[in-house]
Amino acid sequence: MTQNDAPLGAFEEQVLLAVMRTRENAYGMRVRQEIEAVTGRDVAIGAVYSTLDRLEAKALVRSGRSSIDGSSRRMFEVAPAGAHALAQTKLMRDRLWRGVDLKPLLAAY
Amino acid sequence: MLLRSLLHDAERDEVEADIRGEYAMRCDRDGVESANAWIWRQASASAPASLKRSWWRGWTGFESQAHMHRPGGVMLEQWIQDARFAVRRLMKRPLFATLAIVTLALGVGGTAAVYSLVRTLLLEPLPYGNSSTLAAFWNPFDWSQAEHLFLQDNMPAGFSDIAAYTQMDLTFTAPDGGAPQSTSMIVSSANLFGVLDVQPLFGQVFGPGDDAQGAEPKVVLSYGLWRTLGEDRSLIGRPLEIGGEPHTIIGVMPPGFWFPDPEARVWVNAPFDPENRSGNYAMIGRLADGYTFGNMAAPLAQMGTRLRERFDYPPDWDKTRNPVLTPIADSVAGTVKPMLLATLAAMALILLIACSNVAALMLGQVDSRSTELAVRSALGANRRQLMQQLVMETVILGVAAGLLGSLLAAGSFSVLKHSLALGALLDNAQLDWSVFTGAMGISLLAALVVAAVPAISLWRGDLRDSLTHSRTSGISGRGGRTENALVIFEVALAVLLVAGAALLIRTVDNLRSIDPGVTVEQVAVLDIITEYTTARPERARMLSDIIPGLQALPGVENAALTQQLPLRHGGNNWGFHVEGIERGNQSTTAFRIVTPGYLSTLGIDIRQGRDFTPADAVSEEPLVIINEATRDAFFGPVDPIGRMVASGTGGLARVIGVAGNAAEAGLTAGPTPARYMLLSHVPSTALQQTVVIRTREGVDPASVFDAARSTIERVAPIVAVSNTTTMQDVFDRAVGPALQLKSLLVILGGLALVLGAVGVYGVVSHFVGKRRREWSIRMALGLRPWQLIGRIVARGGMLVAAGTVIGIIASLAVMRVLSTFLYDVTPADRPSLMIAMAILLAAGMLAALIPAWRASRADPATVLREQ
Repeated sequence: MTQNDAPLGAFEEQVLLAVMRTRENAYGMRVRQEIEAVTGRDVAIGAVYSTLDRLEAKALVRSGRSSIDGSSRRMFEVAPAGAHALAQTKLMRDRLWRGVDLKPLLAAY
Repeated sequence: MLLRSLLHDAERDEVEADIRGEYAMRCDRDGVESANAWIWRQASASAPASLKRSWWRGWTGFESQAHMHRPGGVMLEQWIQDARFAVRRLMKRPLFATLAIVTLALGVGGTAAVYSLVRTLLLEPLPYGNSSTLAAFWNPFDWSQAEHLFLQDNMPAGFSDIAAYTQMDLTFTAPDGGAPQSTSMIVSSANLFGVLDVQPLFGQVFGPGDDAQGAEPKVVLSYGLWRTLGEDRSLIGRPLEIGGEPHTIIGVMPPGFWFPDPEARVWVNAPFDPENRSGNYAMIGRLADGYTFGNMAAPLAQMGTRLRERFDYPPDWDKTRNPVLTPIADSVAGTVKPMLLATLAAMALILLIACSNVAALMLGQVDSRSTELAVRSALGANRRQLMQQLVMETVILGVAAGLLGSLLAAGSFSVLKHSLALGALLDNAQLDWSVFTGAMGISLLAALVVAAVPAISLWRGDLRDSLTHSRTSGISGRGGRTENALVIFEVALAVLLVAGAALLIRTVDNLRSIDPGVTVEQVAVLDIITEYTTARPERARMLSDIIPGLQALPGVENAALTQQLPLRHGGNNWGFHVEGIERGNQSTTAFRIVTPGYLSTLGIDIRQGRDFTPADAVSEEPLVIINEATRDAFFGPVDPIGRMVASGTGGLARVIGVAGNAAEAGLTAGPTPARYMLLSHVPSTALQQTVVIRTREGVDPASVFDAARSTIERVAPIVAVSNTTTMQDVFDRAVGPALQLKSLLVILGGLALVLGAVGVYGVVSHFVGKRRREWSIRMALGLRPWQLIGRIVARGGMLVAAGTVIGIIASLAVMRVLSTFLYDVTPADRPSLMIAMAILLAAGMLAALIPAWRASRADPATVLREQ
């Protein structure tokens, strides 16, 4: 298993998905806001940039500069390898979920 | 601010703008307080992630696609990258890196070791309360109990209290029995600990009245001795037999306490007698409030007057004439201080030489990298970044040198501590972490000094210019003036050290050539102590009984006993006069109580008359042998043999012989009048004696120690051997600190020489490297190899000559610091300076010869093709 095939970490997965969800608006702060909005948790901007760098180093995302509202920003997009990693991670998760029945436990919750 | 500093240059502004935007939005939506809390949460949670990111980027060199054309990351990131770059560059030049690291490490290690010694010995506070107001009196061990009691009753102005103590070696027996062991003991007035302002760890110290007549004998133990005795608190109140007499243990001092030196392990009280005028006490005083060492002259004069009125000193013995108080710190570390400081100065010189050496090497490197640096500069790197890299390179060299240096320092620490005559302070010198922190600190400081030189040169130079020159192979490149100056500087420093070493070598030679009047080879020396409870006649008999047993040992030629060995200073001077001859100016001679065979054992010649025989020891008539100095001082033209002289013990003694002069008062004191009498004829028998044993030719004197020790234990159970040595060692000690300092300076001088030569070699090599093309053309045009060698060596020679001249001038100015160690040599001793100059010139020329020879062997065609 190469490094790129390794399953994504939970936060990496969240960041990648947030980049996907924000599409053309994917810059650091937007990605952070997206994760916060969906998960309802506080997310540190430093952690987002740090993760984006790692993902870029693994060629799962690409970054470039483009202008939004007159200011130049570092924009991210998910690379094909990133899409593949997301798919792999989802597959692995689905496999894990297969055969798991939470109902009895949830009934007691 | 915190967030900004952790962000990459390229994204700093946009992220800040985003955060401001969201902050404003949150202010409107949730209120200022909540927005502030959010900002704090963001900053605190982002900091660790951002630091981790910088660290990772530094190590992986990752640069985002978006930032490719906007370099300039976070500081930490750049440092890490610079460090990696520097390590890579250093690995590519292993010779340079090794040379620089080893050179620096030598300087750093030595300096750190000496610094650590100086710190523990001179800078650490003494274990006494407020030691800056503690004063040691002049004429130590010359004060009497009577004088101390008088001063107690008439406390002089300027002092709040004065204590008296004397030091002696005695035997003690542990409370649970066992063989007597010897220890250094302090007998003191009851207020000693009060004057020192110290408290016991537990138990108590002497109280008022403990030095009164009939007071119970008490003893305070050092922490070390208490541990040796079993570390048991119930020892308090139990008796400890000291010198055969039981003393009640009343207290234990805390660890780290020592007075007056770390060898003293027990302190006992003494009943002070107002009639006892024998002067063997030292005194210390606590200055009263408002008094300093500066304003004690008047109180001391007043005290002198009172003492003189009361004690009526004879003019020759008037100790009140030159009263001097010494701060206690100087008094306890007085003799080692100049030596330690001289060593530290010598080490610092080595460090400076090492620094300039590495700086010159670095300069050479910068110069040979000028093309690379110019290209980088043309591609957008600014001077600050180039300098940052340079500094990083030296810092890495510094860290490596610091690590190696601390190993060297730790290794050389014990060598150093034993090679300096630290005496009783030896135990205080402990290796600790300060060696490591010292080495690292000194090393980084040195690295920065080293970096400064090429950095300045880089700052001043025009980098683009060198790009143009590189195409012409740098014929008109930098003149290397700074490099030359550095080499001249280090040669000058090396001359200083070599001259210092030469002066001390001459001093030691002079001291060694002094005839001590005794034969130092083949003589074993055992210092012994007897219990004082044994009655005097019994003690004298037992001591005399030791000798035949020792004489019978295999390998032993002769053995004898004396109360005081030559070359050790001290000993008693007793009054002397010859019956029928008027007293002259001289009224005392050194007085030595010996057994028959002493003079021949030590190789002291009999010049007139005869030596003592065993029969003399049992005869009733007191006999005396005088030395030539005594004969010359007291007898004039009269033949002394057969004359009656004052025995010093009340009666008269007959002179039977005249011995050659032995160095009774120390090596450099010159002939001292002395007389020798037999143990059996003198009623006073000191507790401390010295056994001398002459071994047969070819038998190592040190080999008889064990046999002698067991013989003494068997024949005289009341005697303990406190120290074993050889007469050669006694002589070496008498030569004094110059001997130790000499060995050290010779090593350091040698080191300076090697470093200086390496410096000359480096600079000349670099010089040769730069001009290879020029010379190849000249050689192709007919310049002879030897002419080329001549030119290059002359160049090196000029640097060395300039450095030597400056070094000699500097030596004349600073060698005065060594004057306390010199004997019969002036600090401006011409032969020493000439030797230093010649050695440096020779070493420098030799160092220049290697690159010169190499250059002369190069094939011009190859060189021209290469470039």
